[in-house]
Amino acid sequence: MAVSVAKQGYHLGHHDEHDANHDEVIYRETRDMRLTGFVLFLGTDVVLFSAFIFAYVYLRTSIAPVWPPMVDGHQLPRLDTAFAAVNSVVLFGSGVTMHYALEAWKHALKRRFNLFMALTILLGAGFLGGQAYEYAHARIGGWSGNTFGASFFTLTGMHGLHVFIGVWFLIALWIQTSRGVYDDHRFFGLTAGTLYWHFVDVIWVVLFFLFYLW
Amino acid sequence: MATLAPGVQTGPYHAVLDHIHPEPTSFIRKYIFSIDHKIIGIQYMITGAVFFIISGLLAEIIRTQLLTPNGLLVRPDTYNSIYSMHGSSMVWFVVIPLLTGAFGNFVMPLQIGARDVAFPWLNLVAFWIFPVAGVILFSSFLVGAPDAGWTEYPPISLMGPPGTNLWCIAVFMIGISSTMTGINFLVTILKMRAPGMTLTRMPLFVWAQFATTPLSFIATTALGGALAALFIERVFGVPFYDPKRGGSPLLWQHMFWFYSHPAVYIMIIPGFGIISEVLPTFARKPIFGYKMIAFSSVAIALLSFSVWAHHMFTSGMVPWLQLPFMIITMLIAIPTGVKIFSWMATLWGGAIRWKTPALYAAGFIITFTYGGLTGFFLAAVPLDYHEHGTYFVVAHLHYVLYGGSIMSLFAGAYYWWPKMSGRMYNETLGRIQFWMVFIGFNCTFTPLHWLGLLGMPRRVPNYDPSYQFWNVFASVSSYVMALGTLLFFYILVDSFRNGKKAGPNPWGARTLEWMIASPPPYYNFKKIPAVLAAPYDFGNPLPYIGLDAADGAVEATPTHSSHPVPTH
Amino acid sequence: MESLAGIEKIVALVGAVVVGVFAVISLKGEWNKTGLDDHVTKLLLGLMAFGCILVLLAAFGILPRGGGA
Repeated sequence: MAVSVAKQGYHLGHHDEHDANHDEVIYRETRDMRLTGFVLFLGTDVVLFSAFIFAYVYLRTSIAPVWPPMVDGHQLPRLDTAFAAVNSVVLFGSGVTMHYALEAWKHALKRRFNLFMALTILLGAGFLGGQAYEYAHARIGGWSGNTFGASFFTLTGMHGLHVFIGVWFLIALWIQTSRGVYDDHRFFGLTAGTLYWHFVDVIWVVLFFLFYLW
Repeated sequence: MATLAPGVQTGPYHAVLDHIHPEPTSFIRKYIFSIDHKIIGIQYMITGAVFFIISGLLAEIIRTQLLTPNGLLVRPDTYNSIYSMHGSSMVWFVVIPLLTGAFGNFVMPLQIGARDVAFPWLNLVAFWIFPVAGVILFSSFLVGAPDAGWTEYPPISLMGPPGTNLWCIAVFMIGISSTMTGINFLVTILKMRAPGMTLTRMPLFVWAQFATTPLSFIATTALGGALAALFIERVFGVPFYDPKRGGSPLLWQHMFWFYSHPAVYIMIIPGFGIISEVLPTFARKPIFGYKMIAFSSVAIALLSFSVWAHHMFTSGMVPWLQLPFMIITMLIAIPTGVKIFSWMATLWGGAIRWKTPALYAAGFIITFTYGGLTGFFLAAVPLDYHEHGTYFVVAHLHYVLYGGSIMSLFAGAYYWWPKMSGRMYNETLGRIQFWMVFIGFNCTFTPLHWLGLLGMPRRVPNYDPSYQFWNVFASVSSYVMALGTLLFFYILVDSFRNGKKAGPNPWGARTLEWMIASPPPYYNFKKIPAVLAAPYDFGNPLPYIGLDAADGAVEATPTHSSHPVPTH
Repeated sequence: MESLAGIEKIVALVGAVVVGVFAVISLKGEWNKTGLDDHVTKLLLGLMAFGCILVLLAAFGILPRGGGA
């Protein structure tokens, strides 16, 4: 946004115009602002997840007499930890490949970047597939059956939605790179995409602990 | 940058600041979908004013209903919807958008010497969510408006009419808008200040917006979670709050107040900022305790996240938590008291000109202090057991929200109106308007304190006949207040038609927005000035260099001016 | 079912070790960078490595305390 404003703009400024570094300075400054804004946005997303996590913890510890809760006189089963552990590794692995993709881009290693980007997107989609399998096999009474299902499906559903958006975000970035939107000095979109992807991974760390290990 | 005087710290962001983008020419890009922070600010103001009038009418329906013990005007269920919508609209669609969206947008970038906010397009989107959300909110009247109060406590809100779903959507949307604005403002204040404007040289209104931003984007997002859960529980039957299905109504109260208590400060800290601008200007004195006022805003903002449960003393929450919440709540009185004393010390010995903004600022100090004192009563657990859910609470919250937030909005509106419109308003009418609102307000809400202490419950459409005298007194006074509010809009229209030209700096103020023409040109500052000191040192030369006379600030040639002289 | 869960645990164990090691290596590579994005990346990579430890605990059956399903 701000970049294009600066590029369109003429200026009545009082410094020496159009020196070689000028464009670069503007890029750095706008990148800095957008990065700050993006990190703050991720912070608000943390708060959104925290609200639902608080709800889950509160319902589990302060309201439910036993956990998993009783439904019709039977206690619900726990979730399948082993499968979720594999799925977690898939997602965390995509975080690492994304990091390597960005590093490759920074060093102008185009082929390497493409490889890792493809891996990231595949692993991300794989995680979503795993989630779908998990949803089909979770025997906890569905989304609206009880508070366990409500917290589990709402939180992991929100997370899954974030992963889903993230996959498309990465695909869009990949298309942009092939169109030459970024070079190895100016790639804020890729930075933002990587941060978002790491963020999604880390939310999963918390959810994995809360639902499968606690 | 050009050569600055020795010792001027150049800010790190001047290359971006220095760029001016061309003004759009089409009407739609200029006035409807504008990215100019000044236009967006005025759009917020107009939209907020419309919602203010609607919510004010709802309030007058409430007061008219209470003229007789058995309810005069509407059926009890309609009454429930009316007070619920009055509260929701006033909080989310009037006070918060006006204090942050309107004044924050119009004034803050000017005060830091920026050409716009950091993300102008985000600003545009954030604004346009606001009227759409407002229309959704009020359209709930068509399908049965929410009737569980603005707090929408489950399980009543779970049984509420379909409009409650629209309420959830509308408040969620305005929350998103608020979050966007918060992030935008924080980045703007952190990154786009003029060269030399260190944090402790920022005007106090900017400090107030700065302290408000984290509240906007942290607390509001938490509310978003609570609202989303309420929505999916109502629509899809997902149990979160329903005690019959393992949920907990207390969960909603915790989540709601975790937002809504900080929201109280979203609704007052920018008001503090306005008062801190108005008082030194009209007392012709440096603000007393600049740093104390600035830092106390931040202290209030931080503390506000740890006091939410003081709204829940009678809710059946665990008793051992009550004492810490009571103590932390009372601690907030310290930074607030610091501000009150600093403002009074600013007025002390000043050559006060009692223009309308100054009257409102003084009125604000009186009514807000009074509201703060009754807040102290409510924070005390034993007293709260007696007062909770009575008209004492209604009186308290109107003393802080009307006597605090709306009074400061009036002060700000009169103060910056010449900057926005380029014209002066009618001072005599302004003073009459102040006294109508001030007297009407106090006569409306003071009696409610003792009605509450006597035990009159809030949110009930009828009452014991023994309460009638003070209810009639309050209702009649509220009509005076309503007329005063209408007079305000007449004054603005009159000023727009017949007002004298204001000139750049009619009040002789010293912050940057007064150094340029009224209304400011599209690009704000032809040259971004450099800032040498905090702006409140009346009697010293202006602390700016590099202002361009072509900006319109002709009477204050920056390098060798004495302090500016009021022209009105 | 039991044997399938056993295979899953082995896959999780190996995967967590591999991903965890690469996460720590990446973290080490980022360690001396100072931009805002670098700081956030460090935090997030660190938490991700912690996530790998959680997966290991699950694979060894240490968590959840009642044993996995």
